[in-house]
Amino acid sequence: MDRVSTSHVLLGLLAAGPRHGYELKRAHDERLPRARPLAFGQVYATLARLQRDGLVVPAGQEREGGPDRTTYALTEEGRTALDRWLAAVEPPMPYVASTLFAKVVVALLVADPERTRGYLIAQRRAHTARLRELTAVKTAPSAGLNDVIAADFAIAHLDADLRWLHTTLDRVADWHREVHP
Amino acid sequence: MTYLEARGVVRAYGPTPALRGVTLDVAEGEILAVTGPSGCGKSTLLHCLAGILRPDAGQVTWRGERIDEWSEAARSRLRRTEFGVLFQFGQLVAELTAAENVALPLLLAGTGRRAARAAALAWLERLGVAEVADVLPGEMSGGQQQRCATARALVTEPRVLFADEPTGALDTVTGEQVLTQLVRLAREQRTTVVLVTHEPRVAGYADREVTMRDGLVDHSGLGLDAPVSGGHW
Amino acid sequence: MRPGTLLRLALAGTRTDGARVALTALSAALATLAGLAALTVLAVVKPPGDARTESVQYTSALLREPGLRPGVAFALLMLMVPVLGLAGQCARLGAPARDRRLAALRLAGATPGQVTWIAAAESGLASLLGTGGAFVLYLAGRRMLHRPGPDGRLPLPTDVHPAPAVIVAVVVGLPLVAALASALLLRRVTTTPFGVVRRVRTRVPWPWPGLLILAGLAMFAAFQPVGLWYERRHAEPPPWLLPTLLIGGSLAAMVGVVAGTGWISYTLGRVLHRYARRPAVLLAARRLTADPWAGSRTFAALLAALIFGAGTAGFRAGFLAEAEVHARTGTGFGAPAEFYLGAMRLVDLAVAVAVAIAAGGLLVAVVDGITARRRAYAALVATGVPRGTIGRSVLWQSLTPAVPAITLALTVGYLLVRSVYRAPSAGGYSAEVCHAAERLCGDPLTRAQYTRIEWVPKVTVTPDVPWEHLAWFAAGGLAAVLLTVGVGVLFLRASTTLEELRTT
Repeated sequence: MDRVSTSHVLLGLLAAGPRHGYELKRAHDERLPRARPLAFGQVYATLARLQRDGLVVPAGQEREGGPDRTTYALTEEGRTALDRWLAAVEPPMPYVASTLFAKVVVALLVADPERTRGYLIAQRRAHTARLRELTAVKTAPSAGLNDVIAADFAIAHLDADLRWLHTTLDRVADWHREVHP
Repeated sequence: MTYLEARGVVRAYGPTPALRGVTLDVAEGEILAVTGPSGCGKSTLLHCLAGILRPDAGQVTWRGERIDEWSEAARSRLRRTEFGVLFQFGQLVAELTAAENVALPLLLAGTGRRAARAAALAWLERLGVAEVADVLPGEMSGGQQQRCATARALVTEPRVLFADEPTGALDTVTGEQVLTQLVRLAREQRTTVVLVTHEPRVAGYADREVTMRDGLVDHSGLGLDAPVSGGHW
Repeated sequence: MRPGTLLRLALAGTRTDGARVALTALSAALATLAGLAALTVLAVVKPPGDARTESVQYTSALLREPGLRPGVAFALLMLMVPVLGLAGQCARLGAPARDRRLAALRLAGATPGQVTWIAAAESGLASLLGTGGAFVLYLAGRRMLHRPGPDGRLPLPTDVHPAPAVIVAVVVGLPLVAALASALLLRRVTTTPFGVVRRVRTRVPWPWPGLLILAGLAMFAAFQPVGLWYERRHAEPPPWLLPTLLIGGSLAAMVGVVAGTGWISYTLGRVLHRYARRPAVLLAARRLTADPWAGSRTFAALLAALIFGAGTAGFRAGFLAEAEVHARTGTGFGAPAEFYLGAMRLVDLAVAVAVAIAAGGLLVAVVDGITARRRAYAALVATGVPRGTIGRSVLWQSLTPAVPAITLALTVGYLLVRSVYRAPSAGGYSAEVCHAAERLCGDPLTRAQYTRIEWVPKVTVTPDVPWEHLAWFAAGGLAAVLLTVGVGVLFLRASTTLEELRTT
């Protein structure tokens, strides 16, 4: 999966109203439940960059028996930048590139079909296990719609990968002959 | 003692061999997916395990009993009381309403009409199709029909549920809803499920997956019959 | 579409389609044989002379007497009614599957016209096969049955044949009619290819057929009073009036009984459904209410034959009563009575044949009902429903409407005749009676001496209800139903194998 633009996500979370860093992290983890967890340091670094570019401004200080907390608000420029990002269509797979795919190709170049097949089988095993795990998350009685939608996204991709692994497994021998004539 | 097992099961349709000596164990309470390409014999294996088909050779045992040696009547009774069967489509009686279709197995077991209807309505409710209780199958959507069929398969609270491509005729979202409900209800009742499918996504609902190829369980490593981490949850 | 393509598509199909083609051909052949036989009887040329001149070359009076021949031809043509019923039933065999196949052709881009052509070609060709075969059989039969007795008289009219044009009309016309009928029946497929896929509830029958039955009975009951009314005014009724009363009355009663079976099926289905405890009964009850007209369709030929049979039973009872009146009043006809009873035995035989043919149609319907549901039945068997339960449901479903429908048909058939043929009476007048030997009475000179005017007492004989006859017909009809269900249940085993789950 490609890298998500954290700054745009934070801009989006601020669109609902001013928040401070800790709230932003919590909202992020709640809305994107299966995403890579966001570190605090990353939140503050991103906010600082956004402030430098004039997309957010500090909107006040808050102190509740803990450290000072700065609340940030979206500026006019920030909203424009967010709108532009939302309106831009993501290029659908501009390059056929994935570590999985690259690894299989390289395995075929440097090793025999058996090794390639072995790699594919191991990968299939791991994919299946992850698919099952996510299905369990999704079907758990406690699962909310956030979890379901996130799991669905991953399941659909794993399903596609698994289908590709299946068909490629059947084609390894032919493919090898073509690569090593 | 294994719960449900096939040992060297052979079965042919005319000259075409569908199963060429399949050996498979199903543990109590597990959800097992049998996957494989079309024509690999997975449906035939399911039918042999469920006692619908009698194998040409080999044995099928359930809780230590050779059910492949039982008479048709005895196997019918077994399927009616201990097993539930769910097919891809077309299993509802066209002239009976949804509630009557679901109540049918109970009526056959001798339950009174009122009690059978009450149980049928409860199951339709659990599957989220209470509104079609008095509707004929021809007037329902595919998803509603399959939910009724699921209710009918589960209404007797079977020990084992055999499902043959239960979502094959449904769209992805509807299929997933049906499967989610099926798996959830099966776990609640501790029903063992044997799920035949060719879709990885459907196999994802299982605890364990067995792959078949050319009438045999594939032990070449392609098959995933060894439980992977996180298999039981 | 090239003729080759048309033929290929018309003949593409499963075993069921093969069976339908074979049965269509068979019923077309039977209808042709009955029709050609009737036409042959009508082709007998009356020798010159007065209206009663007999064709002396035949052994049977039924063929000799010009007044009886139309009756014989009519009876033979009546045999075509159950045969056509059988043909209609055969046309429905496997029709849902065929309709689905034709709908698939429509979805593949065939025009409504092309689909109609394909279906019409199938039934037309099958019927042509049947009529052609029947024609060959007719020619062979004429040659083989041409056996003049020692006195040179013929048992059958094998010395005449219908005009070639008439034969061609039957042999070619019947297939054309069959093709036209199947084209008409396909309206549902041709209008929308999706029309055949979905099953929905059929219209609920109303008890209006009861009114038709009453109208039929009223028309028969009016027969005598209308005649008397004109007689009292010394006028002749218009020539169309009395035949219209009889033909219209019997048609109304027949349609009423057949359509009434739909209402009976529906009503009994609802009653059964309310009180059903067992799954077999529940299944039967639901099928009765889901398609109440199935009963009408399947039993139509049987009911028509039984109405006809009950009518002849009533006629015979009336005839016997009349014979008794004549015997008791001394007037009468002695010898021909035996002849009339013999002729009626022939009619009974025709009714039995008609019931047998109708049973054939019934069998086709039962087997078709089972094969059409084989997927659902196979699924039920797979889930552990015993085949016995399904078999019992088929039995319930057939017998529940059959028993009251047969009773109704016999009652209506009998009442129709009874309302024309009320209690015959004679006497109540004075008459000359000659008390002497035949030689003296026969001579007008000596006769007067022995004659006396005597009061002939009025004798009225109410015809007995021919219970025995009616019971035989009821038993025959029920036996036909039971037999067909029995054979149908044999098909159940083949139709519920698991392979059926793989077919769509």
